[in-house]
Amino acid sequence: MHQIAFNTHISAKYNAELENLRHSVMTMGGAIEKQMVDTIRSIRENHCALAEQVIMNDIKINSMEIQIDEECMRIIATRHPTASDLRLVMTVSKTTADIERMGDEIERIAKLVTRDKLPESQELKSSMANIGDRVVDMMRGTLDAFARQDDASALDVYESDNVIDAEYKKLLSRIAEEMQRAPGDMQNWLDLLWAMRSLERIGDRCKNICEYVVYLTRGKDVRHLPMESLQEKMKGTGE
Amino acid sequence: MMLKLFDYEKPDLAELSEAQTALRVENLSLHFGNKRVLHNINIRIPKNQITAFIGQSGCGKSTLLACFNRMNELASNCVVSGNVYFNNRNINTPRENLSRLRARIGMVFQKPNPFPMNVYDNVSYGLRLQGMKMRRHMDDAVERALIEAALWDEVKDRLFEPAYTLSGGQQQRLVIARALALQPEILLLDEPTSALDPLTTLIIEELMVKLKQRCTVIVVTHNMQQAARVSDYTAFLHQGEVVEFNNSDTLFTLPEKKKTEDYITGRYG
Repeated sequence: MHQIAFNTHISAKYNAELENLRHSVMTMGGAIEKQMVDTIRSIRENHCALAEQVIMNDIKINSMEIQIDEECMRIIATRHPTASDLRLVMTVSKTTADIERMGDEIERIAKLVTRDKLPESQELKSSMANIGDRVVDMMRGTLDAFARQDDASALDVYESDNVIDAEYKKLLSRIAEEMQRAPGDMQNWLDLLWAMRSLERIGDRCKNICEYVVYLTRGKDVRHLPMESLQEKMKGTGE
Repeated sequence: MMLKLFDYEKPDLAELSEAQTALRVENLSLHFGNKRVLHNINIRIPKNQITAFIGQSGCGKSTLLACFNRMNELASNCVVSGNVYFNNRNINTPRENLSRLRARIGMVFQKPNPFPMNVYDNVSYGLRLQGMKMRRHMDDAVERALIEAALWDEVKDRLFEPAYTLSGGQQQRLVIARALALQPEILLLDEPTSALDPLTTLIIEELMVKLKQRCTVIVVTHNMQQAARVSDYTAFLHQGEVVEFNNSDTLFTLPEKKKTEDYITGRYG
């Protein structure tokens, strides 16, 4: 683990600013995690009011993104951060953009519940919820890796997206079978497919954040690399 | 082939050829009496680039700069060992002609120090010392130096007014013009903007960027943002040693050494 101490600057105020910036991401991350948990619960329990609440709460996530971006800009303008401090500010800005997009994906899934478009099949519903649980675990792991600047666990979380992708593909074929059996309302099936796609995309957004964590801790840009090259790059000392 | 959106590539310091090297410093150490100020410096300063020296007060950066035109030796207790090669010739030898060396490697200090004479005479002073007598040649050289120092437009109508009537920023550019009149190959700037306001500082920085077309610029600065803004390469010195010398973009975004990181991010050393 390559932990950077962001509270060792000579300026105590700067220390506080960077710590607050990190905490703000964790607050936003906590909020998005709750949004996801509530959405999965609303799917399991067909809980329309809860899904409504999730949709309403997305405004709060959007507002957090704007506030954090403004703070990043303010720190860049007033503190001229360099090296690890600059990487932190860039990482925070990019991470919050990904979290905000997760919020949009979650909103789309919650709309399935509020518009009564959940599939009738209990089996499909519980498969969806199970993938949702895995996505929540991935989110939790991602935010934990960010909070602890732990690039090794970021890599583990990154790899766990493969499981979600595999489950997603399985679910798609199940849905395709159901569609053939009951092609009735095509629009409902399409909405369901889009919502599943959103679920899978949240996993991808978590992967993005894991890549930023590696960039933050090691200064290595590992975006768009195949897994083998990524692992190879991670083997370096990063000193 | 990928489309390259930003191209800031600069020669790798480890692979500088002789033709790309302005100064080659080998095993340079310096003592003032018993106090060791520089210890075993080994660097190559790239030609026609801006190199910045940064570090805490007392780390030896100004002393290192002054080694390049042997200004340190004005102090009687100064002992220098090691070699500094300029145009493939070691300048740390007793036979070195110091006034010729200091014309080839000019120096500008923190506080503008114009001579107590008019603008024209300030710029032409070195030329007269070198034996230039023809007024027409002198006029041309003074005008060229003042244009290069981005001062001509401001002083062309007051060339014969005393230099101290100019503003601080103008005086600093006048001093730079005085050095440029001798057509130096290297210009050493020791905190050239620390006594100037931010806008005048930007004018001098812009001048530095223009000057690197015709000479190598080495600047000592306490202002890290200035080093990051204008220099192509930056050396971080600590207690008389070069801790890290790298492309400025790399040094300010991904320094290799923890000491460098601590210094540039303002952490406890």
